[in-house]
Amino acid sequence: MKYLRNAGWIKRKLVFGIVLVTVVILLLLGKLAHVMLFESEYYGELAQDLHERERAIKAARGRIISADGTVLASNKTVCTISVVHAQVTDPERVIDVLSMELDMDREKVAKSVYKVSSMERIKTNVPKEVGDAIREYNLDGVKVDEDSKRYYPFGSLASKVLGFTGSDNQGIIGLEVRYEEELAGEPGQILTLTDASGVELEKEGESRIEPVNGDDLVISLDYNIQSYAQQAAYKAYKAKGAKRVSIIVMNPQDGRIYAMVNIPEYDLNNPYELISEYSSITVTEENENGESIQKTIPEDELTSEQRMDLLNTMWRNFCINDTYEPGSTFKMVTATAALEKGVVGLNDTFYCRGSLTVGGRTIRCHKTTGHGSQTFAQTLMNSCNPAFITWGSRVGAEDFYHYMNKLGLLGKTGVDLPGEAGTIIHKLENVGEVELATMSFGQSFQITPLQLLRAASAIINGGTLVTPHFAVKTVNADGEITKVFEYETVEGAVSKETSDLMKQLLESVVSEGGGKRCYIEGYRIGGKTATSQKLPRGSGKYIASFIGFAPADDPQVIAMCIIDEPQGIYYGGTIAAPVIREVFENILPYLGIEQEAVEFSTE
Amino acid sequence: MGKRRGKTKYFDYSLLVIIMFLVCFGLVMVYSSSYYSGMQLKNPDPAFYLKKQIVSTMIGMVVFVFCIFFDYRFYYKLAPWIYLGSVFSVLLILTPLGVTLNHARRWINVGFGTIQPAEICKVGVIVAVAAFAVYVGKGIDKWRNLFVVGGIAGIPAALILFITKNLSSAIIVFGIGFVMYFVVTKRYWPFAVLAVLAVAAVAAFMYYIHYYVDPVTAGVEIDENTGYRMMRVLAWRHPEEYASGKGYQTLQALYALGSGGFFGKGLGQSIQKLGFIPEAQNDMIFSVVCEELGLFGGICLILLFVMMIWRFAIIALNAPDLFGAMLVVGVAAHISIQVILNIAVVTNVIPNTGITLPFISYGGTSVMFLLAEMGIVLNVSRHIKYRHD
Repeated sequence: MKYLRNAGWIKRKLVFGIVLVTVVILLLLGKLAHVMLFESEYYGELAQDLHERERAIKAARGRIISADGTVLASNKTVCTISVVHAQVTDPERVIDVLSMELDMDREKVAKSVYKVSSMERIKTNVPKEVGDAIREYNLDGVKVDEDSKRYYPFGSLASKVLGFTGSDNQGIIGLEVRYEEELAGEPGQILTLTDASGVELEKEGESRIEPVNGDDLVISLDYNIQSYAQQAAYKAYKAKGAKRVSIIVMNPQDGRIYAMVNIPEYDLNNPYELISEYSSITVTEENENGESIQKTIPEDELTSEQRMDLLNTMWRNFCINDTYEPGSTFKMVTATAALEKGVVGLNDTFYCRGSLTVGGRTIRCHKTTGHGSQTFAQTLMNSCNPAFITWGSRVGAEDFYHYMNKLGLLGKTGVDLPGEAGTIIHKLENVGEVELATMSFGQSFQITPLQLLRAASAIINGGTLVTPHFAVKTVNADGEITKVFEYETVEGAVSKETSDLMKQLLESVVSEGGGKRCYIEGYRIGGKTATSQKLPRGSGKYIASFIGFAPADDPQVIAMCIIDEPQGIYYGGTIAAPVIREVFENILPYLGIEQEAVEFSTE
Repeated sequence: MGKRRGKTKYFDYSLLVIIMFLVCFGLVMVYSSSYYSGMQLKNPDPAFYLKKQIVSTMIGMVVFVFCIFFDYRFYYKLAPWIYLGSVFSVLLILTPLGVTLNHARRWINVGFGTIQPAEICKVGVIVAVAAFAVYVGKGIDKWRNLFVVGGIAGIPAALILFITKNLSSAIIVFGIGFVMYFVVTKRYWPFAVLAVLAVAAVAAFMYYIHYYVDPVTAGVEIDENTGYRMMRVLAWRHPEEYASGKGYQTLQALYALGSGGFFGKGLGQSIQKLGFIPEAQNDMIFSVVCEELGLFGGICLILLFVMMIWRFAIIALNAPDLFGAMLVVGVAAHISIQVILNIAVVTNVIPNTGITLPFISYGGTSVMFLLAEMGIVLNVSRHIKYRHD
């Protein structure tokens, strides 16, 4: 027992050991404190990343509203029905209810219900009422998730202007994609904590960032005008068996587009369904005898590539995405150029013999017997080609291009729709006599219909080059205006005098000349017709068009109709002018343009 | 002064309080860290691990009380049998009684449950070395007896290492014998030499790894034949590089520490225990303590262990005889080694070895034998006599 007391080294070693242990532990605590306080930001953040799962909350997409307050694009609630295999307690009843409510094949539903997976989707885009009905059954393991889907109340109305959205509600074409930023809003976020297997922890407070809904887009397109125009266009489309018919109605003073119709329109609610006009393609093949034969491939035999090509064609907005040879409507540009340059006066006359030889090439007038002697005004009324070849040659190629450029015909219009096509034209240095001659009456170059309408607007509005457009303003959910769109205008494209003169001349085209089928009693209407032969010449395919405006002395509305490949009579003055008359008859009173008192002739 | 009416004069109540607190706190933390694992079982039961731990603790309490009142001096005569029994229990693992859990064969079946022989060996070595030191007296300084002590600690350590592939338990068992020998021998210089050699060996090893093995620093590919222990060393040096493999557990523990902050997320609020730290109730339980109770909670817990070790020292210094003193030194060595190594692993100071934190980590055999050791220490304390100067 005394041993320990004598063994002093044991005590010393014990104390040594205990101090050593304490020191080591304190050092470790120092390391612990370092990790937990100074490296906590680093490790804590990594841990946070590991635990958090982000779930996006969709922002409601803004609506597209017409100038008259009609909602053209909106959202509707649809449901997705799915089953969670592990939670289903009564599979037979689930199959019965779902196959009945969703009107689906029982076997197909059964296959999904019995499939061992974490979650099996049964059907998407189910109407809300059906979803609610399914929810009422309170079936274990059946999930009804609501989602928002783009909805177009008027189906095909202005389909090529509005465009549509994709599966994630993002704009694909048309105004939907052009104004994606304004319409889309900012998606919100739910941050939830999860365990290692990714299961969300309910009790852990979730942090939520609320979504910012997209703004409503108010556009200049007027529902009523668009409807009238669409009716008139469809009528012509059916009556003339045309390939396509387009109508643009615009305010010539500021470029607000009231209507843009492209027949055939497609259903915006089913944009991937080919309409009958585009449901098949015709290909040329060679048979065994080396003769080429036409073969039609029906819709169900199309390759996915062919199908996509057809869809792209169906979605095209001809007024903007495609170019054409304008033909005689372009003569108003030639006339304007000649007047502006002062190389022609109202008293100038031209004698038409039915053809004119330029640079060794004989160009015929559409009236082969010739118009005889005409004043400048009459050459426009008669749409006399030899006369305009002469006016054009007096302007000269360089100035011709100069005035075309001033009227915006060498550049894009800047319209707020994607995919605008540009002018296709000879280089100035390659323009010889023949080229200038054909250009003078609207051939051998291509522009879009909207480019021509814009140039015509500048000619009749006193010389201001406007930017054609749809978007007017954006409005947030509280009704506050968040953005007002402004567009570039260039004044002085045409002088006031020339503009006034052109209005008179174009009015006489309608009252006395080739555009008289657009004449409406009591209204002063100006306009110009065109009948252009499509390339290749001699194919027998024509484009009939007409540009009209009213009132002729103070134009408030300008409209254009293009009938592509009409069957039978194909003269613009005969078939396109009446379409615009029909549109004007409806919309002029609607626009508050008053009919002037009709003076009855007492003679 | 002699005994008065057979009653002991001294009892270390402070140590008793510390022990009770650690045992209860351990149960709380086992529940907190294991309920997620419990919910993942085939028959989900959040208290599955807690229940098992409570049963072990109850048995341990009976042993604890028995040991408090069982005169420690009897262990001197029982020492050879206790020692041989503990070694024999390791050998039992090789018999059909051996049980394999989680791909490791470390347990034996005793009918009502399983026990881990490595834990028995710790007690066996403590008793055997203490008894041998008393038996040889001053002869302990002889070279021959150094090797005897080495054998006493080394044989069970080697068996544990080779039979159960459990390096950590082998280190603890041998470490206990080493520390006890250090205290009982007069010599200093062999330990000084050993310390220098150890530092040199570690430095050489680190140099070798740094320049020849570690892909990060040496710019070499990992050799296909690299053993899992070497992989642990590499993962220790750069846990981020081995985030999905050997470094996973360490990295997850560091995440837990990092997200704890000073006061922690609150008891039960750990997220890392939700499957991120595998078997959070085992070796890495200290990281869950730190995540839930913060640096503050972690430091309090460790200081409690420091206080416990200081109580051990005081009891050992005042023990009535060498045998009692050496028993307490052995227990103190056991607790110290495990606490130090556990915290060092959690804070990534040393490579991951899988050492549990006494009283806190889940483990039935561990808590039972720890309580037995505590009982022995408290019994030694009861034999302390006041001296009035």
